[in-house]
Order: sequence, then C-alpha cells, then structure tokens
Amino acid sequence: MKKRLYLELENCIGCRSCLAACTQCGGHEERNRNYVYDVNPLVNRQTMPLMCLHCVNPACARSCPAQAIQIHETGAVLSALVEKCIGCQNCTIACPYGIPKFDTEQNLMYKCDLCIDRTKDGIPPMCASVCPSNTIQWLTEEEIDAKQSQFNLDNDKWVTSMPLEGETNVRVNLPGILQGVTKLF
Amino acid sequence: MQRDKFFKEVENVRHPNETLVKTHCSYCGMQCGMNLRVNTKTNKIIGVEPRYDWPVTLGKMCPKGVTAYQQTNHDDRLLKPLIRDDASLKGTKDGFREATWDEAYDLIVKKFQELQHDYGKDSLSVYSGVSMTNEKCYLTGKFARVGLQTRYIDYNGRFCMASAAGGFMRSFGVDRGSTLPWTDLHETDCLFIAGSNTADCHPTSMFRVWAVQERGGYLIVADPRETPIARRADVHLDLRPGTDLALANGILNLLIQNGYADEEFVNNHTNGFEETKELVKEFTPEYTSELTGVAPEKIIKAAEIYGKAPNAIVMFARGIEQQVKGVDNVSGYTNMALVTGKIGRPKAGVATFTGQGNGQGGREHGQKADALPGYRKIANPDHVKAVAKVWGIEPEEMPKEGVSAYEMFGLMEQKTIRGLYLLCSNPAVSAPNLNYVREQLKNLDFMVCADFYLSESAEYADVILPTTTWSEDEGTVTNLEGRCIKINKAQEPLGESKPDWQIQVELCERLGRGKYFSHLNTASDVGDEFRLASKGGYADYYGITWDKIEKQDGVFWPCKDEDDKGTPHMFLDKKFYHPDGKAKICALPYRPPAEEPNEDFPLRLTTGRVVYHYLSGNQTRRINFLRDMCPEPFVEVHPETAALYNIEHEEFVRLYTRRGEAEYKVKITEAIRKDTVFVPYHWGHDKSINLLTIPALDPMSRMPEFKACAAQIEKLELKKVQ
Repeated sequence: MKKRLYLELENCIGCRSCLAACTQCGGHEERNRNYVYDVNPLVNRQTMPLMCLHCVNPACARSCPAQAIQIHETGAVLSALVEKCIGCQNCTIACPYGIPKFDTEQNLMYKCDLCIDRTKDGIPPMCASVCPSNTIQWLTEEEIDAKQSQFNLDNDKWVTSMPLEGETNVRVNLPGILQGVTKLF
Repeated sequence: MQRDKFFKEVENVRHPNETLVKTHCSYCGMQCGMNLRVNTKTNKIIGVEPRYDWPVTLGKMCPKGVTAYQQTNHDDRLLKPLIRDDASLKGTKDGFREATWDEAYDLIVKKFQELQHDYGKDSLSVYSGVSMTNEKCYLTGKFARVGLQTRYIDYNGRFCMASAAGGFMRSFGVDRGSTLPWTDLHETDCLFIAGSNTADCHPTSMFRVWAVQERGGYLIVADPRETPIARRADVHLDLRPGTDLALANGILNLLIQNGYADEEFVNNHTNGFEETKELVKEFTPEYTSELTGVAPEKIIKAAEIYGKAPNAIVMFARGIEQQVKGVDNVSGYTNMALVTGKIGRPKAGVATFTGQGNGQGGREHGQKADALPGYRKIANPDHVKAVAKVWGIEPEEMPKEGVSAYEMFGLMEQKTIRGLYLLCSNPAVSAPNLNYVREQLKNLDFMVCADFYLSESAEYADVILPTTTWSEDEGTVTNLEGRCIKINKAQEPLGESKPDWQIQVELCERLGRGKYFSHLNTASDVGDEFRLASKGGYADYYGITWDKIEKQDGVFWPCKDEDDKGTPHMFLDKKFYHPDGKAKICALPYRPPAEEPNEDFPLRLTTGRVVYHYLSGNQTRRINFLRDMCPEPFVEVHPETAALYNIEHEEFVRLYTRRGEAEYKVKITEAIRKDTVFVPYHWGHDKSINLLTIPALDPMSRMPEFKACAAQIEKLELKKVQ
C-alpha cells in the first residue's frame, strides 16, 4: 500500500525530534536533512518543519548536469550519487525549498531521501516515526483523502507546493486546518 | 483508532549484526517505548529504533529520547571510583584521583562509622532521586533506615512530584498520578491543562492532545506563557504566576452557580461540598480576574466548556505544583472533577504529568522522609510493623521521620547532618536558593556521590562512585499513568561502574549490616523483596511480575495478586481511599505567592524546562545534538517590558532577586506576560536560575516555590553579544 508523507504544519511544537531522528537514519551519517523554522520567534512559538517535498518533476534533478539525483520508483528524490555528483551546487540553488545542502569536505550534495531504506519496505521514515505532535505523518492515499474531506476548507489550498514546483509526493496542509472542524458540543 | 492499529502493525528495521532490546526512555515520566540497537559483536549500544508496538507512545520520541542511547558510551562516563584527598578543593572538578572499589568502600565505611560514633546515627543522610527503577528506589529507603540506620533520607521528588502527591492524598486518600490510562486522552471531549508546558516537557503526549481538538473536542490551558499548547487552545487562561488557586476557585464557583454540579455524585461519593461552595462564592469572575489577571470572559468560557463537556480530563504539572500552595492548587483543580462528577469512569478524570522517569514509583516505596514501601507512613505503627517484618528488624529499630530535601540543608548548616550519600540527583543545580545550598554541601564533613557523570553536585564530594546508566541494568519503573513497566539491560556496565543497588548491598555488608542485604544478588532479587514490601500498602505491587508486564504491555497498580490484571482506571466503583470511601472536596482559601513584586523587584520570575534538556541537564548537556539545539539558558521578556528597560533581543542582562543574581541572554517574545520573566533551569554554576529562586516551602508537601518570586532585570551596558 503506497504511503505518502503528510505535513500538518500547525501541529508543530518545535521539538526538532524530526531532526534528531534524521541523524539516526542509516546512511545519513548523523547529519539531519530536514529543518525546523521559527515562523515568527519574537511573537509566538509557532514553528514548522521544512523537508524535501519529493517533487514529481524535481528542480534539483532537472538542474543537475551529471544526472546524480535519482528518483526512486516510490517517488522519493534521492540524495546525490557519490560517484556522479560533481559538486556544482546547481541543485541547492534550483530547489525552491532550500533542501539540498552541500558538504564542502566531500564535495557532495546531501538531501532527504525519504529514508529510502525504510520506506521502500513500508516502514515510516524516521521523522514521521518519532514526530510526537503528528506534524509529520505517513499515510495512505485513502487516509489523506479522508483528511481532506474531514477538513473540507472548500478552497484550493490543499497542496501548497502547486504554484511553486508542480506536483509533489508530500502533501502539506495550510494553516487554519481546524477551521473545518465541527465542535462536539 | 485506525492510526494506532497501523503503527502496531509496523515491523521494525532490522540491521545485520544487531539485536533490538525493547526498553523505555531514560528521561521523563512518559517513559516512551524504544528499541536500543545493540551490536552483537561488540555488545555495545549503537543507536535507537522506534518501538511502534508500545501502546502509550506508538514509537514517538522527543529529541531527548532519540539521543538518549548516546549517554551510555559517552566519553564523560565515570569508569572508576574517585577519591579527593584535599578537602580545600571541594566545589571544583579538581583534586580527584582514581581509586579501587575496595579503597573507596574502606574510606566510606571508616568515615561513616566515625561520624556515627561521634555524633550519632542520624549524623548521616541520604539524598536520592526518582530517575531510578522501583527496585533501586525501594532499596535506597532500606539502605538508609536499615543499612545506615539514619532517619534522614529524602529525595528530589520534593522538587517535582510532592505537591501532586499531597493533593491527591488529601482529595482521594491515595496518590496515583493519573486516574486513567493515557490512551483515554484520545477519546475525551475536553482537556483542561493547568501549569503544563506539555509540548516541551511531555512532547509525546502532544499527538493525543491535538487529536482531541481534531475530533472537535476542546482544549483549555492555564499558563502564564503562551506555550505551543496554549497557542492553539480554545481558551488560554494567561494568569499571573502563583495565582492558580484563585483561578481554580473562580471556575469552581461558576460550575456550581451555573448548574454543572453533579448532585448525585457529590452527595453519595464526596465530603466537603457545602463548605467549599460557600468559600468559592466570593470568587466571582471579576474578583478572580483581579487576582489572576485573566479576563473575566475567558474564565466564564472555560467554566462553560468544562461544565458542558460529557467527558473531561483535568491535567496539571509543575506550574501549579511548584508553589508555596502547590498542594492546595492540586486539590483546587481536582475539585472541578469531583464537583462535576467527571471522575471514576473512562475518558474522565484527573492526571498529573510526571517530571522524572519514575516520579510515580519512586515516591511510593520509601524514599520520602515520612514514608515506607507501598506508600506506608512511618507515623503509623501498623505500617512500620508490616515493613519491619519484611526487613527482618524490630519495629522499634525503625528510624523516625526525617525532614524534606531542602530542609536537610538546614540541618547541614546546624551540623546535625554531617555526612551525605547522594545518588541520582544534582541538588547543586536543582535546589532553590543555590548560594546557600552549595555552601552547605561544601561544609559537610564527608560526602559520597554516586553518579555516572561528574555532576555539579559531585564537585562537592569526597568520594565519587561510578554507577551504571539505565540501559546497563534491569528493573521496573512506573510511568505517569501508574503503569509499571520493564526496563531491560542492553549492555554490560562500562568500566568498573556498578548499579546503585549493588553498591548499597556491598556497602552494607562492609558496614556490618550484611545480614539484611546479602541475599540481594540481582535486580530481580531486589524486585521480589520490593513486591513483598509493598504488599498490602496503598501502592500494592505484589501482583506485578516481570512476566505479566511483558504480556500486558505494563501493569497498572494496585495489583494485589497473581490473578489481578491491575487497575488502569481508578475509582470505577466510585470508592475512594479515605476510610468512609468518599473523596474530599476541599475548601481552600486563596493565598498569594510567598513573595510579591514591589518597587525594587517589580517582575515575577518563573522557571521551567526546554524540550532539549532534562532536569539539571547533567545528562542532556553532554549530548551533542541537544547541546547544539539549546546551548545556554535565556530570559524571556515581553517586548513592552524590554522597551521599558531599553533591552534588546539577544543582549545580555543581569537578573536578580533577594537571593542571588545571574546573567542571561534576552529572548524577546510576546508569548510571555508583561509582568513576568521566564528562565529555564537546566544549567549549572553561574548559569543556574536557582541561584535566584525562593526556598519558601509548601506547608504540606515541602515543595519550594520555584514558579514565582519577585525579580528585577538590569541592562548590562558593556556586555553586548560578541
């Protein structure tokens, strides 16, 4: 059953468990490949995770002159292949979300690979596994559809990345998701 | 829940040449389930995998949990006993030399016996903690009273759970921190959370909290700060620190006035309603607002939501408990559940967030100055008799009640206490009024510290004994639900480190008390004796076997015999633990904090945690990821207050109270009240906010008022950020 990463941004409590967990994923060499931003730190404590959205037609891969960025059959956009990456950093500039980072020592790009050694076997990525606030979830298409109908905001804001970089394999809700909730009493 | 089911079905990743050891996190009372990855060739812990099958947390972990495994093989581990020959170096890291266990034991025995010969048995003291297993907590009580034969033992739960314990004891006649399992949070209609920064302190509760809102339920939060949980609350009661009792009384008054009292429940199952009803009458929304600073309409709305909710859970934490009236605050909020009858059934009840890993179990088995295993009391001759029998001593030999943790420092000043055995605690950071506390530690005739890192408190010791981490030993702990769970051993102790229980047994043998301890050769031996010692007490663990824990995903106490499955929900039979079976609704007159702001100290200082650190930070400040995320303390100041003092974001300021001062980097945020400043307490030496906090104690729980004191802030002209 295909599952997708789904982000419910407003749930984020800024604990950065996702970053800590990312460092623990096999092959990530203890470097986190996702990020958490303070939205407006001088005002309140709203934070949001920022991770690779695994675009269907990713700008990072399109901009890579060495075809070092492979797209896995699950849709995951992988980290640069060591043997191919030439360290040009085109991908870091091309990505509209600022995801690929550059390791100057190894002359190599590294980015979120959706914990491919886990997700290919149906195991949730580390960030979604540990996320204590359900900001980062790992859901089936049906569950995502159910979310969309439960929180029917009657607008076209469900997939936020649409205007920026086309279709993505990660689904993100916009702030205000609880507006659609009917109160119990 | 569909999602829960999904997570339970997820298989774990299995790496070649590795085994997964099922266990629980070493930190807070959530005790999140986790698998430690152990390399089968080196037998060393090398990582962590989520434990999807654990029903309470479903694999979720906070950043502390994810990195907890790193503490065991950390370079800072103490691997051999250390002795300091030059007492003038006390209070520093210097002057220690490595020693053998025999040499360390000989010195301890010699010094302890000298002190007790010259100044009496009670010249020694034991100061412990509750991040240990039930077995260790239990044995520490026996170690003090049978091994050392001293009355002076207390523990750092005085700074953590004592007020919750006192409040529950008074209201229900029993203290189990939660009347229901955490999985009930998912199903309830309203959460009323007071004084808990849940997102930072118990993050793995958050998915259940958000789930309540996602289902259309309500969230009410009482907190001076707009914490992440308050940010999304349906009502945020942004009260002044230290005024919780007024708020609880105000809401109770509205619940009664507006017809939300459950008369049948009140009449049949409680005492004290009429008296309380009279007392809270004066707490009108306007008067309550005057005392607390919360707008009257918010108080009215909160009472209406809680009153209307078919099921609701009142939850609280240190915010209301670490006050000079912490016990009253607990009973005050508990009154809401009792008056409306929202207790004694699934999905409704009262719960406190436990700060320390075994904050629940550790307070039940005889580490408190006045308590014996199974939540028995030293003041009760029948209780003493029952425990003395298990211990093989005469009841007359049982030492009398001692004093609470902070009060022990007073006895050190008077030289009543001259020797200290400190374990599992770091009072040189965590106690209030630190200038005084550190002075008393320095003046001790002889101090032993058992720890696995050289803590700030160990700097005052004459002998340091290297102990194991949580993953090098086995035993049980009781999580914040009252669920007894199993901690499993993942690797052999590093270096020459030993588990606390083994050290205590070996010391007692050398002190000539071996006949009471020599039969305890494994953690399991200690566990068997501990179960027996708790048998018949309020907190009865007799029926909790390690097998049953494994089969049932933990066992809730009370669990009286082998056929008893335990008690996930308390009071389902509407029977409370007072002699007449009724709960007590408490009439509680409001008292202000011990220290109110004035012209010289116009601000209220409150303290708390950040998500990256645990307690005094002795463990978490050493973990690279956690240190990098939050390397130093800060003071939160509202922008308007900052403007008054001409202070800028990230500038250094001097913060001071009548007891001390320290310098902090400013964090400007609208998420704090204008009259309040906040500093987290996880740092040592000159960064400790407890240099400033007040040692005013709750009269019942002896809990210091960490959450409110009068402070002043001062701009440091020449100390801009480099």
